[in-house]
Amino acid sequence: MKLVCDRGALAEALGTARMVVTGRSPKPVLNCVKLVAEKDRLVVTATDLEIGMHLSTSKADITEPGTMAIPADKLLQIVRESTDPTLTIESEQEAVHIRGQDSHFKVHGYSPADYPAVPAFSGSADFVIPAGTLGRMIEQTYFAAARENSRYAINGVLFEREGPKLAIVATDGHRLALTRTVLEVAQDPGSQKSIVPPKTLQLVLNLMKDPELEIKVRIAENQILFQLGESSVCSTMVEGNFPPYRDVIPKELDRKAHLLRDALLSAVKRAALLTNEESKGVRFSFTEEGLVLSSRAPEMGEAEIKVPLSRFEGEPIDIGFNPGYVLDALKAAHDEHITIELRASGKPGILRTGPDFLYVVMPVSL
Amino acid sequence: MLRCVLHMDLDAFFASVEALDDPSLVGRPVLVGYDGSRGVVCTASYEARRFGCHSAQPMAMARRLCPEAVIRPPRFDRYQQLSAVVMDTLASVSPVMEPLSLDEAFVELTGVQTWMGRWAEAGAWIRREVRSATGLACSIGIGPNKSLAKLACEMAKPDGLKLIEPQQARVILDPLPVGRLWGVGPATADKLESLGIRTIGQLRSRPVSWLESIVGRQASGMWALAHGLDDRPVEDHRKAKSIGQERTFGQDVCDSAALRGILLWLTESVCRSLRGRELLAGTMTLKLRTSEFVTISRSVTLTAPTDSTQRIWEAADGLLGQWLMAGMRPLRLAGITLSKLVPRQAAPGMLFEHPEDEKQRRLDETMDAVRRKFGDRGIRRAGSME
Repeated sequence: MKLVCDRGALAEALGTARMVVTGRSPKPVLNCVKLVAEKDRLVVTATDLEIGMHLSTSKADITEPGTMAIPADKLLQIVRESTDPTLTIESEQEAVHIRGQDSHFKVHGYSPADYPAVPAFSGSADFVIPAGTLGRMIEQTYFAAARENSRYAINGVLFEREGPKLAIVATDGHRLALTRTVLEVAQDPGSQKSIVPPKTLQLVLNLMKDPELEIKVRIAENQILFQLGESSVCSTMVEGNFPPYRDVIPKELDRKAHLLRDALLSAVKRAALLTNEESKGVRFSFTEEGLVLSSRAPEMGEAEIKVPLSRFEGEPIDIGFNPGYVLDALKAAHDEHITIELRASGKPGILRTGPDFLYVVMPVSL
Repeated sequence: MLRCVLHMDLDAFFASVEALDDPSLVGRPVLVGYDGSRGVVCTASYEARRFGCHSAQPMAMARRLCPEAVIRPPRFDRYQQLSAVVMDTLASVSPVMEPLSLDEAFVELTGVQTWMGRWAEAGAWIRREVRSATGLACSIGIGPNKSLAKLACEMAKPDGLKLIEPQQARVILDPLPVGRLWGVGPATADKLESLGIRTIGQLRSRPVSWLESIVGRQASGMWALAHGLDDRPVEDHRKAKSIGQERTFGQDVCDSAALRGILLWLTESVCRSLRGRELLAGTMTLKLRTSEFVTISRSVTLTAPTDSTQRIWEAADGLLGQWLMAGMRPLRLAGITLSKLVPRQAAPGMLFEHPEDEKQRRLDETMDAVRRKFGDRGIRRAGSME
């Protein structure tokens, strides 16, 4: 195998591959990326056995097609530290030579035959979604997924499709983020449910360059596959059951505040400055006059921030929220206007923005 | 300002509680502890002490010394309950309090006399309050620092009050054996005695450099204590950092199923304390000590702070399983400790509960209620072994 490759394109591909290949596997070949030089393109393949991806670039001149497996970490370091616009990569049995104008690296690799097979996107898509829409939906949910395993499979993000209606949901038990869209292209009329690891979605986000790009999604047995132009991602799904999330969304909330996202974001950030491990909550006091945030950190001090409300319906209410949870939602809200709906100090509230995003959050006691 | 520290010690605490709950024991020698070949005395009543029984003594030896003694296994729940009442009384006197154990605490009285009257009156008030709230006797020592307050308390025992004024310190300390100094163990005491230093007065007369050549780095602290000087603060540890329980076995445990049963019992017990204090635990630590005195300690971070016996047991059982992979070894001790404690109030509520978690929560609540009514042995999981 021999090729000349654009260094920037290769560095970018390898940087994404490193999100998958963590370099901590006891099996050396799993700490490698596989490079496949085809007639007119170079494909970088990476897998951790749960998530796999094929990243294709045409910014390579292939002199001699071939395949090799090289430690991802070392190859990325070399490519990043090099200064040449292009690098020449050549295999010699299981070793690889990387040449720049003034440099020559020889790195020992592994037999590409030992590299695990990574499924490519094949067959027809279950649905197609513009990158801009899927990107927004992922950004609005995946942060809320639980970090750890629990009895429910909430360490993954739920994709639930019924015909053209797609909902993406994530929760850690204390808050729940839900976003919806209506698909323009849904080949399959049936319904599908799959729980996707957040890491897979981060990878998909990372690969989105063009918001107009149509992403193909296919769900097969215990795998979900994404096709993004020339690249593809496949991932095993999280096993288990997702909690009945519709039951979690409170109904009959009789107080509703309309306000501006940026004003609240800034106020919550400031109020959070005077919270600590012992008193994590910020008090939200809603009245017709406006919203007042107050916080107190024992032995440090206290803060009070006023936030104007565009409108408030219902009786005044005081409620405590973990500022981190509120900030997560506000950062994900793409709309300028938001609403907060509440019922009682001990009951969950809902933050909404636009027609598609909804965030349920449990209060904390003050 | 003149410093003033109070030391309180409940008299023969565990044994007194047993007599309090069973009046037939009043006036009889009582030993609290597990009655087995390796059991030790936790507390001996004053009646039993006359026969030479004392705490930390092997139970078998105590029985030989006092065959008529009544032996009772400890009931830590009950002791904890009464201890909490006593500690609350102390806390009402001064904001700075340092519990040392269930039955012993320091209270910083400096500055408190302005509203409590004289210091001795504060001590007398505490003794009256403790007796009326719990029916228990305590002894109180008051002094210009922690070590003199503790010494005064020892002198006040049983059921007494003693105040050591700063100017009395040397007169009181000088004739005492060096072993009475804080931090002087039997080995150091023997060493000093072999060099002709029997009393604290004799120790005080020697220069600190000489003492340094004998005991090393501890010398300056020891020398200061011999002069009645001690500036260690009363440290407020009321916020529990951990809740744990361990068990030393009468005979080495060689069977993994038995070990599992014992750990389940300990887990049930610590989880109950945790819930009783309205706390959640973030970390669980398993401690095992082999017959060769090798101590193994393994911790696991719980997925979310919890007070569920089942969840904590799953974590403990997981750690045990990992340890057992290398094969069972004979053990002399096993323990479970919960740490990273957070008040239940401070934890964010849950939007939903898995049916299994809900079931377990109801089970914990029910079992706690049964135990409150019928005692520790009222109910337990089938697999647990005391």
